[in-house]
Amino acid sequence: MHANDVIEAYVADVCGRLARDQRDDVARELRALLHEELQGRARDAGRAADEVLALAMVRAFGDPVDVAARYRPTLTIIDPADGHQFLKWSATGLVVIWVTGLFVHFSAPADPPLDFLQRLGRWWGDQLIPSLWWPGVLTVWFGLAARSRRRRAPQATGWKPPAQAGTRVNRGLMSLALFGAALGIFILIEPRWILDVFWGGRAAPEAYEALTYTDTFRRVQAPWLLVLLLLQLPLFVASVSSGRRPRVMQRVELELSAVTFAVLAWATLSGPVMRSAVSDLLAKQILGAVAFMVLIDLGVRYRRRLRPAPTP
Amino acid sequence: MAHSTVRDMGETERGGKVELELRRGVVVLATLSQLRSPRYGYELRQALAERGLPIEEGTLYPLLRRLESQGLLKSEWRIEDGPPRRYYALNAEGRRALKRLTESWVGIHSAMSRLLEEG
Repeated sequence: MHANDVIEAYVADVCGRLARDQRDDVARELRALLHEELQGRARDAGRAADEVLALAMVRAFGDPVDVAARYRPTLTIIDPADGHQFLKWSATGLVVIWVTGLFVHFSAPADPPLDFLQRLGRWWGDQLIPSLWWPGVLTVWFGLAARSRRRRAPQATGWKPPAQAGTRVNRGLMSLALFGAALGIFILIEPRWILDVFWGGRAAPEAYEALTYTDTFRRVQAPWLLVLLLLQLPLFVASVSSGRRPRVMQRVELELSAVTFAVLAWATLSGPVMRSAVSDLLAKQILGAVAFMVLIDLGVRYRRRLRPAPTP
Repeated sequence: MAHSTVRDMGETERGGKVELELRRGVVVLATLSQLRSPRYGYELRQALAERGLPIEEGTLYPLLRRLESQGLLKSEWRIEDGPPRRYYALNAEGRRALKRLTESWVGIHSAMSRLLEEG
């Protein structure tokens, strides 16, 4: 190969990666510069410009992918400052989707019955590959966030402490949590109450039967769950009324959450919760989902803790 | 022995990266400083190398384009005793940028000198 062919191939490789409107112009200049460089190297080496010298020169110039990237303006989709957050949210979301999918696929009844590998195959096809929508959504989200940040003037956005910094709480969210806990207590004591509320006691007898706890659950696991929910209530009420959550209360909440997770996991994994098989599956899925959310909350709090803890 | 060789290689690599970061900051200023009068890419690279700051061609030539697209340089094709060449030179904005960067550099340089002498 002639030295000129090496340069032409290199120029074509670099410029083929550039936008059409700058391709010809860069190619013209790059070609001229490389020829000049080659002549300079040949003069320094005291020999004629040949293929070996040309190859050494373009290799020193850089990989065509990198060189083309240097010619283009930098395109940032996800801000480098968001890189770790993006990775963390992507990985966490994917794990949540996969674990939830595993739980659903392995706990759902199948007709005809499926063995382990068949269920795993279904999970792979139905859950694992389609779950890639999640990193896609995050890419769009982080991309828009980076774009909006770049558009704002840096002076216009001085850092401000968030409204809920320190011991302050979001009263709206806490009220919602209080409502959820109260609803949980009602459902735990008597799930058929829902039928009375929505159908005025005129629901089908099968519906009442479907929403009946097993005697074992009512006797063994339900009291523990009830006690935990009742313990949560005064904490929520205090937070909503004062608008604050002192550090002592945060610590009690954390310990209560750990116990709640253990009891929820125990209730989910031990015997049937409802008399009807379909309702039992649904109840276990709900209990499992709540346990999972509590676990995530514990994980997030553990990851965000600062040591030493701030002084009260 | 093998461990120390691997460690030495790692340290050399890290040192190389740090040096690269250090140089990256001054390459723009060095380039602007040599374009008060028009120069083409190869000539500029030679001028910088002769003054003790060799810059890889794969870095310098795209940099000229980027500085031009940022509005700091102007360029034109000329034929002067040789093949057609693209000549770059500072425009008004580039001259202002060079003045600003030079002031910054002088401040940084004197501060760094004091810091390094103290060390």
